[in-house]
Amino acid sequence: MTEIKVNEVTKDYGKGRGVFDLDFEIKTGEIFGFVGTNGSGKTTTIRQMMGFLKPTKGNIEIRGLDAYKDATETKNFVGYIPGEIAFPDLPTGRSFIRSQAEFWKLKDLSFADELVKILQIDLSANPRKMSKGMKQKTAVIAALMNDSEILLLDEPTTGLDPLMRKHFLDILKREKAKGKTIFISSNIFQELEALCDRVALIKDGRIIDIAVMEEIRNPKRREYKIEFLDAEDFTAFKNLPYDFVRIKDEQKQVVLKIDIQDTGMLIRDLANYKIKFISENKYSLEKYFKEKFERIEGNEDDQ
Amino acid sequence: MPVYYGSKERDASMSVIEVENLTKDYGFKRGVFGISFQIEKGEAYGFLGPNGAGKSTTIRHLIGFSKPDGGQTRIFGMDSFKHYNEILNRVGYIPGEIALPQGITGYEFLEMMKKLRGVKDNSMIKKLSDLFELDPSGDTKRMSFGNKRKLAIVAALMHDPEVLILDEPTSGLDPVMQEAFMELLREERRRGKTILLSTHIFSEVESLCDRVSIIKNGYIVDEFPMSKLKYAEDKLFKVKLKDEEEAVDLKKHVEASGCADCEKREEDTLYIQVNDKNINEFLSLLKEYDVEVLSHEKLTLEEYFMQYYLDDVQFKGVS
Repeated sequence: MTEIKVNEVTKDYGKGRGVFDLDFEIKTGEIFGFVGTNGSGKTTTIRQMMGFLKPTKGNIEIRGLDAYKDATETKNFVGYIPGEIAFPDLPTGRSFIRSQAEFWKLKDLSFADELVKILQIDLSANPRKMSKGMKQKTAVIAALMNDSEILLLDEPTTGLDPLMRKHFLDILKREKAKGKTIFISSNIFQELEALCDRVALIKDGRIIDIAVMEEIRNPKRREYKIEFLDAEDFTAFKNLPYDFVRIKDEQKQVVLKIDIQDTGMLIRDLANYKIKFISENKYSLEKYFKEKFERIEGNEDDQ
Repeated sequence: MPVYYGSKERDASMSVIEVENLTKDYGFKRGVFGISFQIEKGEAYGFLGPNGAGKSTTIRHLIGFSKPDGGQTRIFGMDSFKHYNEILNRVGYIPGEIALPQGITGYEFLEMMKKLRGVKDNSMIKKLSDLFELDPSGDTKRMSFGNKRKLAIVAALMHDPEVLILDEPTSGLDPVMQEAFMELLREERRRGKTILLSTHIFSEVESLCDRVSIIKNGYIVDEFPMSKLKYAEDKLFKVKLKDEEEAVDLKKHVEASGCADCEKREEDTLYIQVNDKNINEFLSLLKEYDVEVLSHEKLTLEEYFMQYYLDDVQFKGVS
């Protein structure tokens, strides 16, 4: 089932700024990542999903409702963490969370309490005087406490230290297991890599590519680095018909690429020699997008 | 009480940055308590720890902004607090939270810093501004977080200082700028600069630093060379076999040979930890099976460090 449908959306701010012809769907229970440089259009996209901005062209559907026209209604099942957090003037973080609970007519605060414990947040502080990390944690609680089915998260891990980031990402994994649909933008490739089902790369307001993470986490073609103990073994091996990426004679080292169905063959070949070590050069989302970028920029040069 | 790993045995005569039994007690167990480390000339040193552990406190003492309750910090052998001015002229410092003077443009701020540092040569400013695509024309008050950060970087490095002290320098930069900045640091390191990098981003430490220490609750809890992680001789492989029968059989043979530790987590998949010295014996066992995937599960710096970040403080809820 489709939870969020972005139909050929353009928001044109002029001078090439904005987002252009965005067209994608997010399925129920999916974690969809959104990555791009500052100013590439991540926040503009999320703000249109929230109904804060009206698209110049196209529309966004959230569970069949129009994100802009039916914005009041969609708020009932959408939790949101804004990219820049501005709190109302309230004496403590606790009073802010309570005011949010009233907005949703939420009686049961046990989930909020649980989040407070996981994220180790001191809610007695004035929200406007909180550090960036503290503000971020308070916003996380406000967005998640209503147990909303859809979460729209704009760089939610900014300002969190690694442990808090881990706790937060674990929370999102649990929410996914409950069937939540999550849209998350980030600057950090690694955190999207482990978390997301798909990740879109946006550049200058346009989606360049949508990566399927399973194919990146478990690639069909892998790269290994092997170092040999003896010069004869090294020489014999490098003459075998493998796809060598690099050969370093001084270190008696090779880097090669193989399709996974040839793994057995590689192991049987290696068993004939004395090696010092074998390690894998892992494929990553960053490498994947870098390759895409190079291809695109290469094409632009051709024109 | 956390275990203390000092580095007192190191030769202090070569050290450019020295922290010796530094104590600053802010009460409520906040601050730093008798920490020591040295950074040698030309070395890049990573400083990791959770928010509030004492990273910025240590750095602010090194720069001479704070007076220690006990112990001393020195740069170029000079007491940081007493020789604050001399040190600032030879050190590039990027603060964790950037507060720029307001009501002036970025240009005016850079001119002001040039006068303060006595910079005549514009080449470093030009190089950095180009690298970061800095637009310093606007008012500092209205600049984006990322743009302020870029301005602070240019201001910190304009006088081509010998020592760089960087407190989470890439926070607020987008990934492209982060990478550009890290490349710049790697180049500065090759030029012989001494670097102290405090950060949360493990991959930055991984790509730059020679040594790293971990600070927690005001104590240094671990310090070690990066090579210890980069060239781990114990490797964890995830081996997916044709079926469960093969997995069970391989596990039995590996355990009988004693060349590796084996754990079966899925039907057809084993997690096997092998030391490099046993790799040949292991491969000769493995070659008898139909291996579908051989995946090397690297222990990242992040996983290694997470143990130090774990905490058990309880916070009061909402209701």
